[in-house]
Amino acid sequence: MSELAKKRLVKNTRQSIKYLTLVFNDFFVLALIFLFGALMFWYAQALKQIPAKAWFYRPVLAVALWLPLLAGRLVTLFKKADIQFLYPQDGEKIDDYLKPMFHYSLLLPTILLGLMAGILYPFANVKIGLLPYQYLLLLLAAWALKLIELKWEKYSLNFKAYFSREVMWGGALLLLLASTYFPWLGIICLAIAIATPSKITAFDWYHDVEKEEARKDRVYGLFSMFTDVAEKQIVIKRRGYFDFLLPKQLTKETPNLYLYRRSLLRNPEYLNLVVRMTAFGILISWLVAEWKWALGLSALVSFLTVYQLLPLAKEFDQNIMYRIMPIDQTKRAGELVQVLALVLEIQWLVISLTWLLVLPLNTELFIAIVGLLTISQLLARVYLPIKVKQ
Amino acid sequence: MTQMTLKIENLTGGYTGVPVIKNINLEIKPGEALGLIGLNGAGKSTTIKHILGLLRPQKGTVKINDIDLRQQPLKFKRQVSYIPETPVLYPELTLKEHIELTILSYGLEADSAWKRAHELLKMFRLDNKLDWLPIHFSKGMKQKVMIVSAFLADSSLLIIDEPFTGLDPLAVANLIQLIRDATKAGKMVLMTTHVLADAQQAISNYAVLNNGTIETIGSLADIRQHYGLQPDDSFDKLYQILNQVTLHE
Repeated sequence: MSELAKKRLVKNTRQSIKYLTLVFNDFFVLALIFLFGALMFWYAQALKQIPAKAWFYRPVLAVALWLPLLAGRLVTLFKKADIQFLYPQDGEKIDDYLKPMFHYSLLLPTILLGLMAGILYPFANVKIGLLPYQYLLLLLAAWALKLIELKWEKYSLNFKAYFSREVMWGGALLLLLASTYFPWLGIICLAIAIATPSKITAFDWYHDVEKEEARKDRVYGLFSMFTDVAEKQIVIKRRGYFDFLLPKQLTKETPNLYLYRRSLLRNPEYLNLVVRMTAFGILISWLVAEWKWALGLSALVSFLTVYQLLPLAKEFDQNIMYRIMPIDQTKRAGELVQVLALVLEIQWLVISLTWLLVLPLNTELFIAIVGLLTISQLLARVYLPIKVKQ
Repeated sequence: MTQMTLKIENLTGGYTGVPVIKNINLEIKPGEALGLIGLNGAGKSTTIKHILGLLRPQKGTVKINDIDLRQQPLKFKRQVSYIPETPVLYPELTLKEHIELTILSYGLEADSAWKRAHELLKMFRLDNKLDWLPIHFSKGMKQKVMIVSAFLADSSLLIIDEPFTGLDPLAVANLIQLIRDATKAGKMVLMTTHVLADAQQAISNYAVLNNGTIETIGSLADIRQHYGLQPDDSFDKLYQILNQVTLHE
């Protein structure tokens, strides 16, 4: 079992590295370096200026050290097929399997805690007056609290075992706060961590496999914000509150329009894209605070939105019923354009309304609103019909 | 309604260059229900995929009256509805929307189609689940949605692949009744199945497929005679004989 766990961990690490390489591409890393540099510069300047020993420094330190503890869940890498093939394994064997998994799960929070500890040390030492050994005890408390959380989480893999992350996080915050005043609490936290039971006696297969699937899906969801993730499971949601955007009468529908509209509103891949891009358009308009830039950047956002929605055209090709039912596929390109045109119009409306709220009200702003509408119409009536034919 | 006939002539095809089915000739007349039987891998699903237009034949034609599947695919598809062995639904659509999509695709008159849909939904105990998404349905319920949609389409040819898998006995009885009603109304039914005990309540003729070719077509009595089965022999023996034939080939 231990060998199986190691094999799975190697495979999982390779997969994570593959996606992390895509997420942290050259441009993103460069932007992060600049951002981090700017933040550290501001931090160094602030340290020189702020007075020493203000009452709220210790709570601030406690919260800052608590934040890395929010990252990292127990990784088990269990799969659905395990319910069938690993079912006869007893608690001891499962424990063997989970041992390397447990160490792996501690890795991310430990790294994050280490980074945060390095950044906060000057603040803790100079402004709060914590001695190095006191700071180390505080860090020990934080690390031990994560250890307790993961051990408790592992124990909860047993049948009917109670686990509440919220209770754990609340308790951890309080203990960290207390540790900033009484650093020796770090030793007590470690003692509690060692004493926390984590043995598997009655493994709850269905619950634990589902839990792992949900964890993996959250990780994939995070990666999918930056890159395409093939393994991500798409969970369709009904979203009845969007029904007002659908025609009420069937006579106004065709099978392709019917399917594209509903997929756009219910498939998170597409809906999240539209929401994300629109929010991005609003944010940059607000940041640049100048109508010409806002117009140019929002036009780019509109183009990128519909460009990324083009795969919707082939969304149903893998569905056997779509190919069997008498659905006229020769018209679907035009019907997709119809749906995407509506997306552009809604996006224009939302961005324009926000401009009216955040940008200075003047003639230029109205020119920008009309300009964005014109660009949206050009995209819908000129660009999209040519593109979908390709 | 015009009476339709399915005519398959010299159909040869498969997934690669090597044909899985060879020179299949079949005719289903109006009101006829034909069972396609054979061992796993005999070519039943491949035959169905060719009739549905999912595979391009290497040779041969598939026609309903004069409508050729290759020449007029949309017109041909309007005459066909299909119930697959594994239910395939649109995850984005509720049950109600699956019904509406069927109405739209087959160009049905909405009011009368909904009247019929309500009867079918009630028959399969789905009438209070109209707003459910497929994610909330069990496998059997999904199969019932496929059945409702197929019988709602009012097409002249119903193709049903292993229909009894995963259905409860009530649903099986209802499906058999629907197939009987459909044939009485002059529709054609082509069904693959291994459950002959259930199938013979609705199917009169059978085509035995073996190694991609049709060995014989006829009633169950004809098939018994063809393979030398005694009246008290169960149909398991037919499969044993087919297995022997396959092994020798």
